[in-house]
Amino acid sequence: MSFIEFKNIEKQYPGADKKSVTDFNLEINEGEFIAFVGPSGCGKSTTLRMIAGFEDITGGELYIDGKKVNDVLPRDRGIAMVFQNYALYPHMTVEKNISYGLKNMKVPADEIKRKTDWAINILGLEEYRNRKPKNLSGGQRQRVALGRAIVKNQKVFLMDEPLSNLDAKLRVSMRNEISKLHRELGSTTIYVTHDQVEAMTMADRIVIMRNGVIQQVGKPMELYEHPANKFVAGFIGSPQMNFYDIILKGNIITFADGNTMKLPDSVIFKLPAQQGEMILGIRGEDIKLDQQNLDVFSENKHSAVIENAEVMGNENNLYFTFGGSQTIARVSKYEISGIGDKIDFVFNPAKLHFFDKNTEVRYV
Amino acid sequence: MRKNSIPRIILTVILFVMSLFFLFPVIWMLANSFKTDAAITADMNSLRAFVPPALNGSFFENYVTVIKDTDFIRYMLNTLFYAAILIVAGVIVNGLAGYALAKIKFPFRERWALIIMMLMIVPSETIITINFLFVAKMGLLNTIFGYILPMIVNPFNIFLFRQVFVSLPDDVWEAAQLDYCSPVKYFFTMVLPMSKTVVATVSVFTFLGVWNDYLWPSLVFTSSDLLTAQIGLNSITSNDNTTMGQTLAVITMITIPVIIIYALFSKQIVEGVVSTGSKEG
Ligand SMILES: Nc1ncnc2c1ncn2[C@@H]1O[C@H](COP(=O)(O)OP(=O)(O)OP(=O)(O)O)[C@@H](O)[C@H]1O
Ligand SMILES: [Mg+2]
Repeated sequence: MSFIEFKNIEKQYPGADKKSVTDFNLEINEGEFIAFVGPSGCGKSTTLRMIAGFEDITGGELYIDGKKVNDVLPRDRGIAMVFQNYALYPHMTVEKNISYGLKNMKVPADEIKRKTDWAINILGLEEYRNRKPKNLSGGQRQRVALGRAIVKNQKVFLMDEPLSNLDAKLRVSMRNEISKLHRELGSTTIYVTHDQVEAMTMADRIVIMRNGVIQQVGKPMELYEHPANKFVAGFIGSPQMNFYDIILKGNIITFADGNTMKLPDSVIFKLPAQQGEMILGIRGEDIKLDQQNLDVFSENKHSAVIENAEVMGNENNLYFTFGGSQTIARVSKYEISGIGDKIDFVFNPAKLHFFDKNTEVRYV
Repeated sequence: MRKNSIPRIILTVILFVMSLFFLFPVIWMLANSFKTDAAITADMNSLRAFVPPALNGSFFENYVTVIKDTDFIRYMLNTLFYAAILIVAGVIVNGLAGYALAKIKFPFRERWALIIMMLMIVPSETIITINFLFVAKMGLLNTIFGYILPMIVNPFNIFLFRQVFVSLPDDVWEAAQLDYCSPVKYFFTMVLPMSKTVVATVSVFTFLGVWNDYLWPSLVFTSSDLLTAQIGLNSITSNDNTTMGQTLAVITMITIPVIIIYALFSKQIVEGVVSTGSKEG
C-alpha cells in the first residue's frame, strides 16, 4: 500500500468562491521524492499545508502510513517541514533551534546531544552552533531549518519553496545537499517549487498542477518526453517548447504563414485519424541545423533569419520567426550564428508533439 | 547630517536651554534637599539655591531623619512589590488578550478589538467608584489583592501587545507545533521573548502607573502597613513637624526610581510607542 494517499482531496478557503484544489488524487510510495510544481497560485502550498495539517481538508480523504489523518493534529502526523522563510526561532541559537523539538519530545539529554551534533555536523554548521539566526546568511538559515527537520526522524518531509530566497548559485548547491540528504535518510519527501529545473533535477516523480488541478504525474523524463497536454509541454523544459497553429491534411502540415512540411508515415501512423486544425509542438533541441540532419530531412528544409541569439557557450538559443510563431532553436556551439544570419533548419519529425486545438490534450 | 551642521548647532543650543529650563526645579529640589530649613531660606534669593551645601557630617541629615522617623522606605518597597506583581500579571493577562486578538480566529474578533480600543478613551477616574464598590463588596478593601485586581487589565496595553503580535510570522508558530510546542508554552517561550520591546514598554508603563498613582491606593488602603510611596509622601509632607528640607528629600527619593527607569528604558519606550503607533494605522 502506498505511504501517502490522497483521495479526491479538495480545498475551498472560507469565503472563496472557487476551490483552490480540486479532486486531487495521488499515491506516494515510502521514500519517494515528489515535487509539486506549477505556476503561482496553482495550489501547491495549499496542498502541502493540508498534508501538514495547517489547512483543513474540505473534501476527500488523506492517508499517511495507512492512517486517515484528516482530523489529526499537525504534530501527530509524523511530519517535519521546511518553510520558505525558514521560520527559525529568532531568540534561540542554532543548536537550540535544532534541538528544540527533541527536548519537547522528552528525548533523553545524551541522545538529544548526539542527534543535534550529527545534524550540525552533516549540515556543516559547526562554527555557527552558538549563533542566533539573525547573524546567519540565507543559506545557513535554510540549513538550520533542514537540521531542525531531520533530527526528529520523521517519516515525511515537507518543503515549501525552501530555496526560493537564495541566490542562483547557492540554490544549485543546496539542491544537491537536499538530494544527498534524501538519499541518506530515505524519508518520503514532498517538495513544492515553481521552478521546473528544481523539480526535474531532484524529484523521483513530479506532480504538475494548474488552477488546483493535477495536470500530470510522472518521472521527470516522462513529463519531458510525453507531456500530457500543451500546458505541461510548455511548463517543463527551458527554453519553452515551440508551439504552432497548424492544419494537417493527409500527411502535409500547413503552418499559419503558409509553409508546409511533409510528415513521414511513421508519424502519421501515431496520429490516429486526426486531421484538420491542431497545435504542433517541438522542443528547441529537436530543431536541427547540422548538415547531417539537413541532408536526411532535406525535403522539409526551411530557412529563416536569426533575430536574436543567446550565447551560453556550450549551447546557444537562436530566435527566429517561423510558422507564424516565435521559434527558439537550441543548438550546439558548432552551429552558432549571429543576429541577421540566414540559417537552414529542419524539424526532427520523430520528435513532434501534436495537441488538440480545443482541449490542448496531446494526441497519443 | 554634515550638511546641516549649522542648523544642528542652533537646534542643540535651543534644546540645551530648554532642558535647563525644565531641569531647574529638579536641580533646585536636589540641592535644597541636603540643606537645613534655615539654609534654604538664606539661599532662597541667590544662585546658591541651585548649589548643594558643602559635604560634611550632616550632609544627609534630612534623608537620615526621613528614613529613621518615618516608614517611607517601607512604602517604597510596598510600591515596588505591587509594581512587580502588576507587571507580571499585566504582561500575562494583557499579553494573552492581545495575542488572541492578533492571531486566534474567533467570531467577531475585529469587533472585540474595536470595543477594547474604545475603552482606552475612558479615563480611569470615571470607573474608579465602580471599582471601589466591587472591591468593597468582595470584602477586599485593605488587601493587596483588592488593590491589584482592578488594575491588571489595561486596554492600552492589550492594544500595544496586539499591534506587535499581529506582525509575528505565522510560520514560526507552525514550526513550533511540529516541534511539539503547546500553545501556552509557545506564548511564554516564543511570543514574549520575540517581543521583548513591547514587554519592556508595557512593564515600564505599568511601573510608572503604579508608582505615580495616588487616588486608587488611597481609596483601597487604610492600613499603614500597605500604603504606597505616593500616599506616604503625602502624609509625611502634610505633617507639620516635617521640615522643608525633609520634604524635598522625600520628593527626591520618590523621583529617583522614575528617573532611573526613564534613563534605562527611554529607547524601549520610544521604540515601543513608535513601532506600535506606525503599524496597521
Ligand atoms: N488563506 C487563504 N484564503 C483564501 N484563498 C487563499 C488562501 N491561501 C491561498 N489562497 C488561494 O488559493 C490558491 C492557491 O494558493 P497557493 O498558496 O496554494 O498557491 P501556490 O501554488 O503555493 O502559489 P505560489 O507559487 O505563489 O506560492 C490561490 O488562488 C490563492 O489565492
Ligand atoms: Mg506557495
